[in-house]
Formats: sequence, C-alpha cells, structure tokens
Amino acid sequence: MTLHDLRLSRRNLLGAAGALSATAFLAACGGAGGGSAAAASQLDIYSWADYFAQDNLTAFTTASGITPKITTYDSNDTLSAKLNSAAGTGFDLVVPTSGWITEYASRDLVQKIDHSRLNLSTLDPSLLDRAYDPHNQYSVPKDWGLQGVIYDPRAVGGDITTWQNFLDAGERPGVQGKIRLSGSGWENVGVALWADGKDWNTTDQSVIRAGGDRMKDWVTRTKPQFTSSNVDPIVNGSIVLAIHDQAGARRAIEQNPALRWSVPGPTSQLWVDSYAIPKDAPHLDAVYSFLNYELTEKAQITDTRFLGYPTALAGLRGKLPPGIDNVDLIFGGAGVDLSKLTTFVVNPDTIPVYQEIQTELHALS
Amino acid sequence: MPHLLAAAPGLWLTAVFVAPLLLTVALSFAHPGFGDVTFGFTLDNYRTALGGLYAQTFVQTVVLAVGCGALSVLLAMPIAYFIARHAGRFAGALLAAILLPYFSSFLIRVLSWQVILASGGPVDSVLHALGLLHAPLDLIGTRAAVVIGIVYGYLPIAVLPQYVVFSRIPRSTTDAAADLGAGAWRRFTSVVLPLARPGVATAALLTAVPMLGELVVPQLLGGGRGLLLGQLLQTQYVQSQNYALGSAIAVLILVAVGVLVALLLRLTRGFDEAPR
Repeated sequence: MTLHDLRLSRRNLLGAAGALSATAFLAACGGAGGGSAAAASQLDIYSWADYFAQDNLTAFTTASGITPKITTYDSNDTLSAKLNSAAGTGFDLVVPTSGWITEYASRDLVQKIDHSRLNLSTLDPSLLDRAYDPHNQYSVPKDWGLQGVIYDPRAVGGDITTWQNFLDAGERPGVQGKIRLSGSGWENVGVALWADGKDWNTTDQSVIRAGGDRMKDWVTRTKPQFTSSNVDPIVNGSIVLAIHDQAGARRAIEQNPALRWSVPGPTSQLWVDSYAIPKDAPHLDAVYSFLNYELTEKAQITDTRFLGYPTALAGLRGKLPPGIDNVDLIFGGAGVDLSKLTTFVVNPDTIPVYQEIQTELHALS
Repeated sequence: MPHLLAAAPGLWLTAVFVAPLLLTVALSFAHPGFGDVTFGFTLDNYRTALGGLYAQTFVQTVVLAVGCGALSVLLAMPIAYFIARHAGRFAGALLAAILLPYFSSFLIRVLSWQVILASGGPVDSVLHALGLLHAPLDLIGTRAAVVIGIVYGYLPIAVLPQYVVFSRIPRSTTDAAADLGAGAWRRFTSVVLPLARPGVATAALLTAVPMLGELVVPQLLGGGRGLLLGQLLQTQYVQSQNYALGSAIAVLILVAVGVLVALLLRLTRGFDEAPR
C-alpha cells in the first residue's frame, strides 16, 4: 500500500460514516412500520403504552371486525405537542389526562362528544361533570389515579401523612439522594403548595414561584432523581421515598411488603385519564363503536384488572371478583377521600412557569 | 444528464435538511408562546439560551461530550490497533463481534446497564465477593453511570474508523522505523499515530457530536439528575412547547458542532502532505 492509497482514507472514512448513517436511517424507517393503506374499518388510537387489556381489544375485533391500531406516547406533553402539530392528524381517539382537556377544547383540538351515541349512565357520577369538562362535552372518563408517596418506613423514620412529612423525611440522612420526584413541574411544585395550604390551580405566578423556590432549596439539599414508572429501584431500596401513583405502589408493595403507600394531606392530586376525539378524527363510527364496547361493565372490569387503575364504572369495587391482591390499593388505599383531592387544570399562562421551575429542579439535583 | 441526476438528491437535501434548518433559524428569532410562535425578530431567545442555567448546562454538556468522546477514542484505539495489526484472519470475526451489538436497539443496550449496575446486580455481587465493596452499589442515578453508558454506547463507532486507518498503514513504514532503531512505543507515537490522525479525528467526531445531544442515557442511567443539552432541548420542544427558545438552543448546538468539526479538521490538516 502506498501513501497515495492512504491519502484517500479520509474520504473513504467519511463515505463509510455516511453509509453507516444511511443504514441506521433505513433501519429506523423499517422499524416505524411504514405507511399502510388506510382500511375502511380502521381505528387509530393514540394512547399510553399497555393501556387497554388485550382481552378487550380481541373481543372488540371479534364483535366489530375492526382491529384498533394503537400508537403510544409516554407523557401528556408528548401527546399535546403532537396534537398541536401536523403529526397529530389522523388519530381517532386519544387518552389525555383530565387537566389538559380544557386546553384542548379551547384550542379546538378535540371535538364534542355526541352523547346520543354513548351511554354514560353506568359511570361513577363523581367522575362526571367535573370542573375541567362541564357536562363531559369533550371527554369520557377512562380510569383514574392519585398522586401519593411510596416509602420505606424504616428509612424515613415513620409514617408520612402530610406533604410536610414528605419534605421533612427527604432531609433525613440516609434518605437524601434516594428520593424520586415526579417528571412534571406542577406535580413537584404542587408538593410545596399543598404543604403550605395554597391553591394548586392558582394563576398568581408569585405564589407558584414561591412554591418553586421552596422546592429548589429542598432539591439542592436532598438530590432527588426524576424518573419513570419503573418501581424496581424502590423495591430494591435504591429509592426509599418516591412520588408515585397507586398502581406503581401496588406493584412495589406486592414485591416488597415492607414498603408503604400514602396519599398525604391536606390535599393531593386526583387525575382522570379520559377518552377524547381529535377534531378531524377520520373514523367516527369506529370510535363510538369502540367506546360503547369499552364502557360495558365486563370491559371496565377487565381493564381495571389489567391496568391496576380503577375504571370509571359506578360501584366498581363491589363488582370486582374476589381474590384480587391488595384490591384496596387499586382504589388508592383504604380511607382515601376523593372529595378532598385536587385536579390540575392546564393553563397556558402558568405552564411555562412550572416548566421553568422543573428545568431548574433537574439542574439543581 | 449529470445535472439531472444531481437534482434529485439536491431536492431531497433541500427538503429534509436545508428547509428545516432555515425554519429552525427563523424560529430562533421568533416571539415564543405556549405551543405557538409569532414570527419576528428578537434576540431574547439567545439571551435566555446563553444566560445562567442554560449557559451552565451548555458548558457541562460540551465538557461531558468532549470528555466521553476522548475516552471512547482512547479505549477504542488499542482494540482497533490490535485487530488491524495483530488479529490476522480473525480480524473480520472480531470486528463483527464489536459491531453486532451496535446494530441492536440502543435503548435495550442502555437498559441492560440499568440491570448490570443496579444495587444487587452483577457488578454489585462481584465487587462484594471480592471484598472491594461493603455497602450496596449506588451507581444508578449518578454521573458516573451516565459516563459508563455513553462511552459503552459509542465505543463501536470509535473502533471502526481507527481500525480502517490502522489497517491501511503500510507495514514497511513501521519496519523502516524499527530498522532505524525506534522501539515499539516510539514507532507508535512517531509513525503510526501521525498517520492515523484522520481515523482518530473521525472517531472523535462521530462520538463527540452525537454525545452533545444525548438524551436517553442521562435519563435511564442518570435518573434525570443534572441537566444536559439534549434534555434541555427536549424540554423546550415537548414540555414547555417553547419552539423559539428550543430553536435558539438547537442553533447554538449546531454552532458548537461546527466549532468541534473545525477543530478536528484543523487537527488533520497537513495530512495530505508527506508525514513528518
């Protein structure tokens, strides 16, 4: 080999690099599944991962001949960003969390529910006609959850009954650095606002910023993580104090019964994941057919058992078959008073403030 | 005819590369809203992106990318050198062994590290068995875990260009150096390394540049602690839906990449001349 050959090597290398990225690009295109032709009886659902029991989907397909195609997101932010862009067109059904529905309705991103085509009378009245969507004009409740705390009582030195307890517990030696906060700014700032008895849906930015300052001080001292729904680190003790929902708590406690769960006072979050129909949903008949199937008692019970979150069926607790482990936890634990809980309503004026605080919390942790 | 043939990729590049880039630049000067922008001209986005927390994140990320890039290149160098110069007929098999994992899902490979480094996981057990560790291993959620994950993830890309360049260095050059009395180390530093500069620079480029935007590893292995540019960018686009500020940060990352590329090109300049 001569030096002349060697001189070509940089170009060859860049060529090889190009080929490498082209391969990766093609692989990515292949992985996305490509664009299939739209079938007449199609239903495109955009939802959280594993959010429908397979038994229900199969039974619906058998009954209707429609196979729902489900695309998933991992946060309301992703859903919101997509619905708000051209990439969000073509979906028939989405499952946003309660607080976003007002915002979607005001932006004309979702359409009104045709109540003549649905029967909501089997649903729990306490989950209907709520402040974020009066008369359920735009949404139908699917299932609900609570923001609470999973903790190891030996590490945190006792029970956590208030958010102030949570903040104090985080500062104990042995707990610092083994804490997990939420990935959402308003859920984290909510902790300080609730502990101080403030309104979570306040539009007063100075109140939000004061709550944020309190959390920033706390995070600087306690060095929490901000992660996913994976409960393994909680089960194995790498995390001893974590903000979580009740389904995660149930999974963790089943694996490590020494752990405890509470919904601290004076108030905490109640969220209701709800069906909503995007503005230009192309397959409306399929949507209503699917919703009517999902709202049957049998489907609601099957979904509850699959998800670990309670669906909106009225009297659900009494209708569940016996023998389900930790059934109390599905409903947020014994003695939880839903009327004392708060639902966050997304407000375009305050969201940037919460997001800015969340970014700072990440940087300070 | 050649012009027509060039037109197709030209159009493709314009549509998928130049147009989005111009849009990003235009957005970076726009007035932001939540999920909304008003086109105009303001430098506020750049002022924010270059101030306080954002500037600090920028510096931290560049330091991490350059550090991890250098570490990847250094770790890959002996591997590439060994395969190119000493593996003989096993070279293909060894390269395949290094590259195969690279073609599996990046996400799965990073998630595997969650298991490997977890408290009670294999690393923990081995360190305990050897008596090197007495408390539970607490690596997940730390910057160290992020560095391990990133360097591991990009190592194969650092091996490949260095392998190519090492394998193309004529043995006659090192033989001549040996004849003139140069020892193994001297042959490597004075003959092989200068000739290998383009491969080393390409390896550095292919690792450090994507590391600037790394998002998955800090999230999965770092517990979301601390802040890097990739996360900051994602936060602005997805969570805050502040496309204007997100675009300003993206443009600044592009500038940083440009500087990095320029530096590396400078490093390999003079390569086309006879090696010193």
